[in-house]
Amino acid sequence: MRAAENDAPPDWPYETRHARVNGWRMAYIDEGEGKPVLLLHGNPSWGWLWRKTVPPLLAAGCRVIVPDQIGFGRSEKPTREHAHTLDGHAANLAALAARLDLRDLTVVCQDWGGPTGLTFALSNPERVRALTIMSTWAWPEPAAEFHTRIFPWRMMHAPLVGPYLLGRHAALVGRGMYLSVVDRERFRHEAQPVYEAALPDASSRLLTWTWPRWIPLGRDARAYERFAWLERELQKTTWPTLLIWGREDEVFDAETFATRFKAMLPHAEGPHLVTGRHFLQEDSGAEIGVMIAGFLGRLDGGAA
Amino acid sequence: MSEVSIVPAPDLSGLRRAFLLAEDRVGHYPEFRDFLARAFDLDAKGLAEPGYLRAPSGGVYVLVFIGRSGELFPAGVEISALLPALAPLDEDVADRDLWAILRWVIEGVGGEWRIEDLDATGRLYRIGAAT
Repeated sequence: MRAAENDAPPDWPYETRHARVNGWRMAYIDEGEGKPVLLLHGNPSWGWLWRKTVPPLLAAGCRVIVPDQIGFGRSEKPTREHAHTLDGHAANLAALAARLDLRDLTVVCQDWGGPTGLTFALSNPERVRALTIMSTWAWPEPAAEFHTRIFPWRMMHAPLVGPYLLGRHAALVGRGMYLSVVDRERFRHEAQPVYEAALPDASSRLLTWTWPRWIPLGRDARAYERFAWLERELQKTTWPTLLIWGREDEVFDAETFATRFKAMLPHAEGPHLVTGRHFLQEDSGAEIGVMIAGFLGRLDGGAA
Repeated sequence: MSEVSIVPAPDLSGLRRAFLLAEDRVGHYPEFRDFLARAFDLDAKGLAEPGYLRAPSGGVYVLVFIGRSGELFPAGVEISALLPALAPLDEDVADRDLWAILRWVIEGVGGEWRIEDLDATGRLYRIGAAT
């Protein structure tokens, strides 16, 4: 299957809307009525990652907002690395939430949707009702063991190597995602072309090697203090929280990362394990949608 | 033995720069910036002149070093192929040459950065030039 950048991808029958956020053009979908749920993807995917998660939430009576974070999907893709900062991306979400006046919001995050979405939530607590956290992290150290290794992680985004491998050769959006799902054959045929089409040129893939460089690997990392704040503030929260993790996740393995979130947020439900590696939505997207809908139903006093 | 070598500035008449890639943050791992500064004597030369490399194809590549206020120099680097002014780029040749330049960089950076790991990363991601 070949896909073009602006083709309507399968299982995504939603109107693409656009909002200006901090001077950038952000694409998003906004479907359904009811209490809002914000689904946040990370690197190098886009809103389409949630295609199997959206229908169960709509069926449960939720309003579902799925942005393509700036630099990905159908949103504007800045061409200078310095356009991307963790705080800037969190502020982009704050701008979207203000634009849509989102309140009573459930923030659902995976990968960089975690640091950006949780930073947004903590800096806009009046808008937030609940959290769902999947395959991510929210502290400055220790990093995932995978992220400390030269082969393949640090080599992949090293100076000059990053623009070559992840830029010219689309290594993360292509084979990188392929290696991070369970059903690789299905992914290769059904999904990989869609993700690759969303980042068609080397310059459009800038954020795929920029985000890895924001992962703190020591105290001198530029995001160290933000992650320290994130850890400190997150563990003070009492928002109802649901933890969902991929059983086969090798990047943010459940035993280390879900367990640590549970220790930070002992009131959280879960962790519930589903079939999935890092991109667990690819293998268990619908099941995740049902889980979140059930979680929100229980908050509303239902028996789901 | 590296197949890439630093060469003097060629005669640029009749040539054009074919832009290939930009690195905005060459000091992300400071040892990469240190290597380039050392290899091209950038502490002395600063922005005065670009660097030139001859790659395995015989082609010459220009490295333009970028400075940013408040950051150590060089902050970034751009790599372009030098081509006859109106000739198209042979992308396969350029890609293999870029891979060789990356191997030269990794060899020069040294320490924990090993060519074997670059090659393994290239093979993992099925980069043609790495196989």
